[in-house]
Order: sequence, then C-alpha cells, then structure tokens
Amino acid sequence: MLALDVQLQRGNFDLQASLDLEAPVTGLFGSSGSGKSTLLNIVAGLAKPDQGWLKLGEQSLFDSRKRINVSPNKREIGVVFQDSQLFPHMPIQQNLMYGYKRTDKKHRRFIDKEIIDLLEIGHVLKKRPHQLSGGEKQRVGIGRALLASPRFLLLDEPLASLDKGLKQQILPFLKRVKDELQIPMVYISHSMEEILHLTEHLVIINQGRILGSGHFYDVIKDEGVQGVASNLGLENIMRVKIAEHDEIHGQTEACCDGMSLHLPLEKKYQRGEECYVSVRSNEIALSTQYIDFISIQNQMKGRVIDIEQHVSRITVIVDIGQLIAVDISPKAFAQLNFTVGSEVYCLIKSQAFAYLGGRQ
Amino acid sequence: MFDLSPEEYMAMMLSLKVSFFSVAIILVPGIAVGWLLARCDFVGKSLLDGILHLPLVLPPVVTGYLLLLMLGRQGVVGRWLYEHFDLTLAFSWRGAVLATALMSFPLMVRSIRLSIAVVEVKLEQVARSLGASAWNTFFTITLPLISPGIITGSILAFARSLGEFGATITFVGNIEGETRTLPLAIYSYIQIPDGNEPAQRLLIISVVLALSALLISNFIERKTTRWLEAQ
Repeated sequence: MLALDVQLQRGNFDLQASLDLEAPVTGLFGSSGSGKSTLLNIVAGLAKPDQGWLKLGEQSLFDSRKRINVSPNKREIGVVFQDSQLFPHMPIQQNLMYGYKRTDKKHRRFIDKEIIDLLEIGHVLKKRPHQLSGGEKQRVGIGRALLASPRFLLLDEPLASLDKGLKQQILPFLKRVKDELQIPMVYISHSMEEILHLTEHLVIINQGRILGSGHFYDVIKDEGVQGVASNLGLENIMRVKIAEHDEIHGQTEACCDGMSLHLPLEKKYQRGEECYVSVRSNEIALSTQYIDFISIQNQMKGRVIDIEQHVSRITVIVDIGQLIAVDISPKAFAQLNFTVGSEVYCLIKSQAFAYLGGRQ
Repeated sequence: MFDLSPEEYMAMMLSLKVSFFSVAIILVPGIAVGWLLARCDFVGKSLLDGILHLPLVLPPVVTGYLLLLMLGRQGVVGRWLYEHFDLTLAFSWRGAVLATALMSFPLMVRSIRLSIAVVEVKLEQVARSLGASAWNTFFTITLPLISPGIITGSILAFARSLGEFGATITFVGNIEGETRTLPLAIYSYIQIPDGNEPAQRLLIISVVLALSALLISNFIERKTTRWLEAQ
C-alpha cells in the first residue's frame, strides 16, 4: 500500500528508511528525535528527501531519479498533528469543511454529517477553536482530515497533549475511524499502549533507522530492537487470556500457554479477552526450587536456555513455555549454582506485571 | 488660532498624500521581504537584513544624498528614468514618496516579519495536506493570521512617513506645494520672523496626526487579536 525507500540528511541528523506498509493501521514507534516525525513529513510531502522513492498504491509520489515530487495538496494524504492545529481565525464549521471544499465532488468519500456524527462534534460547529476542550479540538482535527477524503491518514501523536482520561475518550473514536471508514493509517506514538489499542503492526524507528517492522510480538523480540525494548521495560511480553477477576483477593487470573498467571486486578478486560502484559527482566527472581511460604504469587517452572554475562548483571534466558529474560546479580548467580539446562523457578510478583492493552 | 492659511493646509494635505502613497508602495514588498526573512534561510540573508535596516541607522541626510546621487537628473538611474519614461523624481512629490518609503520600509518589514514568525508552520502544513495550494494557503491561512502585524506595520510606517525630514529635504528640496511637507513647513516657518504662530499650529497638527495614528493602530490591533483569538 505505502512503500518507501528514502534518505535525508539535515545537519547531524540522518534518516535512512525503507518500508513497505500493508496493514490497515501501522504503529510507528520511537522516542523523540528518532526521526518518526521527519518520516511522516516525507510521506505527506512536507519534507523532501535527498534521495529515494515513495509510492502510495501504484502512484509514485516521490522519485529522486525520475524527478517526481507530488506537492502535498495533490497527495490526498491526511495529517493530524499533536495539537490539532485548528485554524484559529475560522469557526469550527469552516475548519471542518476546509479540505472538503477543496476536494473534487467525484472524489468525496464521506458526507459531512456522517463524520460529524461519527466523531460526535455536532454541538461545537458554531463555536471557535479556543472555546473547545482539548479532546473536542482533536476530534475536529481528525474530522477535518477525514472530510478531505484522504487515501491515507497520518496521525502524529494525536493524543500526546491530552491527559490520560481524555486519551481513553479519543481512542474509541480512532478505533471507529479504523473499523468503519477503513482508511489506512500510520499512527505515530511513543506510547506502546496507545499503539496496541489500535494495531499490532509496528514499526520501530531509532536514530533515523528502522529497527524492526512487522507484528509487534515478533518485532519486540527481535535482537536489533532489544536495546529499545529494554529501555521501555518490554523485554518480556506475554500474550495472555483473561480467566477470572478475583475481586476478593484483588487480582486478575489469566492464562498464558497453559500456565496460570496472577496479575493486578484490571476489570477493563472481559473474561476470555486476549491482551498483552509485560514484566521487566530485573523484576523477576530465580530460585532452584519451589518455595512454599512466600508472598510472591507467580512461580513458573522452566529450563535455562542461555546465560549472558554483562558487566554488572547476568541475563538468564529461561524457557517457561516461552522465552523470558531474567536479570540477576553476579553474586546471586554464584550462590544459586545452575547452568544451561538446569531447572529453575521464575518468581514474579503479580504487581510487577503491566498491561499493554491489546485486542478487544 | 486654528484658521489654517492655504499654505499650511497645503502642507498638511501634502504630508498625508505622501505618507499614504509611501505606505501603499511598500505594503506588498514589505510582506514579501518579511516572509522571506521569517521563513527562508539563504546565503546573504544577514546582508539583506542589514541593508534593509540601513535607513534606520544612517543619518537621513545621507540616505537623501545617496538618492539624489543615483536618482537625480545627473544620476545613473535618474537619467535613465528621465530618458525612457520622462519621469523625474528629484524635486517632485513622487521623489518625496520614494524617500519616505525607503525610510519607513524597515519598520514595515520588522512588524510583518515578527508576526509571520509566530504563525505556526504546522497550520500551513495542515492546509496543504487538506488540498490547498501554496498560494491558497498563504491567502486563507497566513495572510489573515498576520493581518494585525500588517496593520501595525502600515500605521507605524505611515507615522514615520509623516515625520520624515532629512532624506526628503536633501533629495527633493523644500518646494511649497510640491515637496514642503509638515515637518519641512514647520522648519521653514521657524526660519522667518512672525513664523512662530503658524509653526505652532502645524506642530499641534503633527502631534494630533501622530497620536491618532498610534491610537488607531492600538485599536485595530486589539480588535484583530480578539477576532483571531489564538488557540
């Protein structure tokens, strides 16, 4: 659908990216300064690469060798920025229709009323941008982009400036856009939870390079991504199925590859629903035998696959049905006395698990 | 005291005419140069910026003399204009317009440039992605958003033009009815006996005109900022 291979150099920053995006929604993940916004600008035609090519479907939007560079207003690619960027001198109605009016009648895919209803912004049409709340502004920004009937939508951290409660309010609208309007999107964010809410297809970018691309579960396990993943505390990700909410004991029970896990109580997921949880490798303890009297709720038996020596820690890879990484100190490693092939128990407090969101 | 003599009235009207035309001819170039300086990086940008601000720091007499050297009948450009277009700038009110325009151009550019610099580039980028061409984006987004800057710049330039003395008297002289603007008329009156009374009348008119320009500028700025009401 969207394919590119571009290079761009600006001062010390250098971007080299090659991508082929096929998923309906792709999450583009990276820290600030990683080049994710530059990449978005290149796709939208707001920045010109030094070299390379960019195609949307069959149409070439940029090709340095053929000297093609379609101007941004001819690309039919919608952009939604972090701070909604509503035009301050126009009422909401005029903001919404800015792109609609400039779209050929034949190419219009939506009726204004349809989008206004979908995003529930009918009550603000007569107002001016400064009278709207952050969440309303962002919905108008999304609506304005949609009404220009884009073939592709780029969302650059659309929720970053909203507080947590508001994010939860906007995410369902984005899901609606994705499910009901079926416009392919790239969703840029530095929040994995937001991304996983919309898609499992992920591209990770760091210092101007694409580190990985594909299903998030595979990407995050990829060796090249491990540095980034461990910075985020995502060394260990498990796909779990919610079994039971045990309100009396304040925990949620879930299933992972036949094992039973005790997780923090989180009732936003239904029974039987699948989601992802993560646990940092330095929050897991190892034991060579099962311990009876202990507060830690999860003890999972596994086999040591690999032992990696680092300067101040030792990373032990344990197969408990899936591979998990455990960091222990060299001293603890010396005391425990195990080798590759030994049987160990991974001890994880239920509160050490974090929910990453997931399919609903 | 306030019965203006025909000469005094003429000086006032001439000042208004010269100032009006001077603002009119620098308005579009002012927007263009302001945009260039606010949005573009190019070789020689600081040099252009410096040259533009030169009239602010040079003694106005020097600017006027330079104009006379270049645009007078004997000047390179002046002779060419006269031979090809039968146009004489020196010692005519058109020359006064040119001199005041040059003197007030930096004020105009400065004000517009500042207002362009604060327009969020992403607003323009969004407009482009919504299907607006570069010019359409300029006219529907940028221009309305910088209109307060343009208005303030114009009024500042207008007020500066009303007060222009040095460059005008050097380039176009002090010809009654042609180039004798308010400041030149005041200067002339204080040179002669019995000139005190008309000089003071014109002084009051100058103060009133300048003050009204500033008040109008403030008023419009308040109105437009309220109209724009930034996000």
